[in-house]
Formats: sequence, structure tokens, C-alpha cells
Amino acid sequence: MGVSPPPQPFSRQLFYSFFKSLVGKDVVVELKNDLSICGTLHSVDQYLNIKLTDISVTDPEKYPHIGRLSVKNCFIRGSVVRYVQLPADEVDTQLLQDAARKEALQQKQ
Amino acid sequence: MFRYQSLEDCPLDEDEDAFQTLGEEDEDIDQFNDDTFGAGAIDDDWQEAHERLAELEDKPATARELEDGAVSDEMELLGHHEENLAERLSKLVIENELEDPAIMQAVQTQPPMQQPGGLNSSIWDGSAVLRRFRGPLLTQEMPSVSVLEYAMPQRPPQSQEDDRDLSERALPRRSSSPIIGSPPVRAVPIGTPPKQATVPNFNQQILCPKPVHIRAPMQQRYPSPYGERMSPNQLCNVPAGRMSPSQFARVSGLVCSPLTSMNPKLLQGRVGQMMPPASRFRAFFGAPPPPAPPPSQQQHPLCPGSHLQNLRPHPQVFRPDTTHLHPQHRRLLHQRQQQNRTQHRSLNGSAGDRAGHRSSHHEQLRKDPYANLMLQREKDWVSKIQMMQLQSTDPYLDDFYYQNYFQKLEKVSAAEEMHGDGPKKERTKLITPQVAKLEHAYKPVQFEGSLGKLTVSSVNNPRKMIDAVVTSRSEDDETKEKQVRDKRRQTLVTIEKTYSLLLDVEDYERRYLLSLEGERPALMEERKQKICDMYDNLRGKTPGQERPSDDHFVQIMCIRKGKRMVARILPFLSTEQAADILMATARNLPFLIKKDAQDEVLLCLLRPFSLVLYHLPSGTVTSLLQQLANLPQSATVPAPANLHLAAVLQNKFGLSLLYLVLSRGEELQNSSAAVELMQDNQWTELMSMATRELLRIPEAALAKPVSTPSNLLSLFSRYVDQQKLNVLETKLQLVQGIR
Repeated sequence: MGVSPPPQPFSRQLFYSFFKSLVGKDVVVELKNDLSICGTLHSVDQYLNIKLTDISVTDPEKYPHIGRLSVKNCFIRGSVVRYVQLPADEVDTQLLQDAARKEALQQKQ
Repeated sequence: MFRYQSLEDCPLDEDEDAFQTLGEEDEDIDQFNDDTFGAGAIDDDWQEAHERLAELEDKPATARELEDGAVSDEMELLGHHEENLAERLSKLVIENELEDPAIMQAVQTQPPMQQPGGLNSSIWDGSAVLRRFRGPLLTQEMPSVSVLEYAMPQRPPQSQEDDRDLSERALPRRSSSPIIGSPPVRAVPIGTPPKQATVPNFNQQILCPKPVHIRAPMQQRYPSPYGERMSPNQLCNVPAGRMSPSQFARVSGLVCSPLTSMNPKLLQGRVGQMMPPASRFRAFFGAPPPPAPPPSQQQHPLCPGSHLQNLRPHPQVFRPDTTHLHPQHRRLLHQRQQQNRTQHRSLNGSAGDRAGHRSSHHEQLRKDPYANLMLQREKDWVSKIQMMQLQSTDPYLDDFYYQNYFQKLEKVSAAEEMHGDGPKKERTKLITPQVAKLEHAYKPVQFEGSLGKLTVSSVNNPRKMIDAVVTSRSEDDETKEKQVRDKRRQTLVTIEKTYSLLLDVEDYERRYLLSLEGERPALMEERKQKICDMYDNLRGKTPGQERPSDDHFVQIMCIRKGKRMVARILPFLSTEQAADILMATARNLPFLIKKDAQDEVLLCLLRPFSLVLYHLPSGTVTSLLQQLANLPQSATVPAPANLHLAAVLQNKFGLSLLYLVLSRGEELQNSSAAVELMQDNQWTELMSMATRELLRIPEAALAKPVSTPSNLLSLFSRYVDQQKLNVLETKLQLVQGIR
């Protein structure tokens, strides 16, 4: 029999769970190369890879080759993301705090 | 080889001999040369191969029509190869988690219900399905070529050149590599697009990959359920009803993959298979099929421009993705999609100019050089690995935020609906499959024959990197600031500990439901104990009977999260405990107000306070008012201006709290216990004090309360004369009409 892959560590699951709740919302993803992409969050996986639809480059369009095409979708690898800007009213900060506390508790155990 | 140590040693008169020997060597060299570079070389020059590819680009796509007979031969041979491949790959088998719907949703091939062997099926069992389904699909599908398949059997009509092409293209078997573990030797470098054009069973032409920026991020192949086995003609013709046109207008090479999912004929072939595409992307726009696709559905060829006009609204936009979506979430997304769709529909007028792009677009579709690098089952295998990692032993904990967030949303929307006609939608719950926990004993890698263990550090096996020693600060060095800081830190720690208790307590209800009968009393006990602990934490544990200082509590209340925590704890406390908290708050209210100026979070306490107030007896209410007014137990001469009360009145929270207390008092008066209150001198005194203060304060300084209880008017009417009552009325806006 083969070996099954180990489950995801807790530290990853909090953000995964969080981003799942944001699927369908508009976000701005800032990458480590300073590129900012605005789009609708289409999906996310446990590595926090992000797929956006309807993307546009925010602010100065230094990257016209993206800007010229009409509708775009993109896939962003999780490790290159620096920030994700979210709509504030889509986030339940208290719940997020609770989730973080629970996770901290679990990690201690 | 060099017979001479140095150049000087080389005697000139031995030139002839030297040249001769060199000549001999030359011959050897020639032979070596031949072997390496010339006719003896087996390796193909990759540059040459690449040029050949470039030539193929211009050849027309003649390979559209299928020759059924040849194809079926092809298929059988492919199947044969697949079997061998399957055997080999079964060594790479992953424990099959067939029961988990989340995982199975991620793959397109569904293993057949009955296993021939009867044993646990491997994840590669999909191949049996593939083979079985090949029959009905033959008329429509073209086999794709996998880079793993090698030595493809040659079809008679192929030319010699093609033979050579294929053999060069193929990879040697992994397991037949002479050196175990070494990468397979490639005749053609990795990444070279497969050569196909002249062979009919390859459905795609090669195009030298264009350096298009947009391609780069989209190299990921979104697996289609039927392995891109449709002919390009069919791909283009599948109705694009589900896609918003603008979204996929320029996606090269990928537009048609989503469309394959909607091909009803293909769906027929997949008996009983309701497999949504693994890719969420495509799923989002390609919306897979209802379980029983109507066989009569014909695919009608669409002209390119009609992509945009043919937007069929689908009643059920099933969003199959690799995770379960909470029903509420799904509904929200669905709404959103519909909104987008209506928006795009209105933009159809501008779609005409896009028609021109479409034809070139289709050209690109056919020539995607990176298509079919992986078989569907291989993609499924990778998807399965990813999905298996997500299996959780306790979905409530692992997926805490998501589940609770949508539960809350549903509660809110249900509450809103209750006010209206009544619950329209059913309360749907998200059920996440749970897997039994497996113990993963991580064993660090060891090599035989090595001395000692390797120091390998990973997520599962962290190593200590730094030797940090905790040094405690000596008492002498502490300055006042440090003391303050320490105290604050201690308070923070207390808050966090109490928070953990709080989260636990909040969780008990759920645990209670899940537990067995016998365990329940124990659970209740635990819960009680924790509540007591929380209360002790809040008030500061004092061994003595008195609670001399509110200091501990006040410290907690100075911190924003402390206040929120108190608000959350209050419902769990007993009445006395809660009253105690209330008192302490009232007693120190001006101080807290001052501290709260930045946070403004005291208001969160109003609601739990009001709930507590509801349960308080009249005596407590009186003392509460006393606290608010900051009068000691014994009556004293009232000062001209009560600063404590004044501060309270000028703050939104304070005023609201005061109103609540007064309102409660009024309620009590109206109830059967009213007699006590009426006779209570203290109450009367306090009331007059309160009214005096209210009258004294300028209206501008008065805070705006959260809500003004309606019975205040009747309350004041007992204690003040008509004139003052009118003043109060206008000042406090006690009558609704004034506002």
C-alpha cells in the first residue's frame, strides 16, 4: 500500500479557512515583486495559491500587457504574495481572533 | 598519452615520428568524433528536431477526421500500454480514499463500482473506466498522447519520417532505466512540444510557443473531464452558455476546455458519472452537468460571435470544486454570478467586434503545444494527493473560521427573515466528512551504513535552532515604567488565559450535543468550573472574603480586548457574579470612560448589561444607581455638582447605562415589587439627585444615548414638578415627537 500524505499543519489551515470565506469577493493582491493585482477571488487552496478573475492592475499601469487585454484570469502562487487587501465588512474580526486563539491552543498541545 | 614532460623535452628531430603518432591518434580521434557527433551518434540533435517542429507548424491540420478503424486499433494498443503503465504506476499507489466525496470530486475518472479484484482499489483504477468508456466515445474523441507513452505503435499510413519522429519523442520507461533513480534519458529535451501534425490520432498541431505574456501564468492545464479528447471542431462548437463572454474572451487555449464539460454527448458516455471538473476555474464558468444529461441535447455549431449571445441561464449553477461550499456561500456566489451575467448580457452590443478575434483565437486553440502533456488520470492523481492532505480529523477545528462565519451569516439572514414572512429558505448545514485520525509517526530519514542520524529539519520535525535562555530581571532595575509595563503584560496574559477558558465554555454546547449520556454530567461540571475560573480571573483571586480592590478588574477593563471579553463572559456568569461586575463597572465608570476615549468599545457592554439588569432585584438596582452616582451607602449632603455623575452623563455609554438602570427601576416600580422601591428612601434620594444633575447639565454637554427608554417620562413625573418635567422632556427628548 502506498503512503498517504500527512495532513496540513494547523498553521496553514487558518488562513485557508479564512480565504475560503472570501471566495467571490474583490481583493487586491500585492506580490513580492511590487505588482498589485485587483480581482475577484475565484479560489484558493491550502497553499494559499490564489486564482483571480476579472483582474486589473491597480494604480499606475506599469504592466500594460496585462492592462490591454479585456478580461483576464490569473493564477498566483501562494509564496509570492506579500499582501492581500480585503473588504473590511467581509471579515469577522472577532471570529478570526477566536480562530487564531484556538489554533494557538492546538499548537501548544 | 603525453610522452613528453614539457615542450622542451620534445626533440625536434623526432617530428616525423611525432606526427605519425599524432596521426594515429588522429584516427582514433576521428573515430571518437564519429561516435560523438557523426553518423554513429544515436542522439538526435535537438536543434534539428526543433527546426522540424517549426516546419510542421505550417502544415494544415489534416488530422481532423478520425478513422475509426485505425483509431480503435490505436486504442487497443494504447490500452495495452496503459495496462503496463498502470501496473508500474500502481507501485506509486496512494491509499485510496474513495469514500471521501471531497476527494472524489477532484478527479474526473471515477473508479467503477465493482472491483474485479475485490481488494482495495488503487487510485489508478480509473484506467479501467477509461478503457471501458472508450467505446462509446470513440466517435467523438481523439486520444491524446501522453509523454509517458512511448514507442507508440505505428499506423500504416504513416511515413518513415514519422516513425522516427515518434521514437525520438518517446521517453524510455522509467523503470527500465539502467541506473535506478536516475532520471530517464530523454531523446528530446523536456518541454519540447510533441510532434504531431501528420499523425491523425494527434489532435493538435504544434505551434512554436508564442512569447505571449498572458500565456505564462496560464500554463497550468486545467484538466477537463474528458481529457481534451474532443476534436478542435467540437471544442469550438460546444455551446458556451455558461460563460460570461468577457471573461474568457482572450483566454488562449483554454476556452474550449471548459466547454468540454458541457458537451452532452460526452456526458452520455460517462454513465452515472457526475464528475465535476477538478478545476475550480472551469467549474466556475463551465458549470458541470446535471446528473442525468438529456441525451437529446444536440450540440449545435455556433458561429464565434454567438458565444456571447447564447447565454443560457442555468437553473443550478453547481460549483464543484475541491472543497465543499457552505450552502449559504454557494447562494451568495450564485447571486453574484447572476449579477455579473446580466451585466455582461447588456454589453452584448459591443461583442460584434470581438467576433473577428475569435477566429484567430480558435486557431490558437488548436495549436496549443502544451496540451495533453499529462493524462487525465495523472492529473487526477496529483489532485488526489492535494485533496488527501486536506482531509481533516476534526473539521470543526480545522475549518473553524469558514464554518462559523457562514453559520453566523445564516443566523443573521434567518433572523431577518423571521421578521418578515417567515423562514423562506431552509436552514442548511454544511457537513464536512470527517476522517479518523491516523497516527503519523514521523521518522526522520536514515541511510543505511551512515554513522549517526542526519540532521534534517522540516515542518513535522523541527529542530532547535537557537539556545535562548530566559533571564529574569532583577527587582532593583525596575523603573516605574517597567512596572507599569509588566503589570500591563500580566493583565494581557490573564486576558488571554481567560479567553481560552471562554472559548472552551462557548464550545460546550456543541460538545454536549456530541457527547454520550454518561459524559454529560462531567461536562457540565467542567463547564461550571471553568466559569468560576473565569470569574476569578476577572476579579483577581483574593483569598479573603472581601474583594478589596477593583484594581484587577479595572486593569482588564482598560484594555480593549478585555472589555470585549467581559461582554462575552457576562452571559455565562451567575446573577450575583454578573451584578458584581456591573457594580464594579459603575463604581469606576469615570475612570473607565477616560480610558476608553480612544477605544470607544465600552458600548459593547451595554447589551449584556441590559440583560443582566433584567434579572436584578430592586435592591441591587438601587445600589447600582448609587454606584453610578457615586454616593456612599449612608446618605450624605449632596454636593452642588456631582462630578461622578456628571462624567457619566456626558458619556454615551454612561448615559445609556444610566437610562437602563432608571428604566429598570421604573419597571420595578410598576410591577408588584414596586411597593418596596417606593418606600425606599434611597431610591427617592437618588432619583432627585439624578434629576437635579440632569437639569443642571447643559444640553450641549449631554451625550447622545444609544436608546432612550420610553418609561423615563413616567419615572421623572414622580419626582419632579410639571415645570421641571417639561424641561427634562425637551432636554432629553423623552417624547418621541420632539425628535
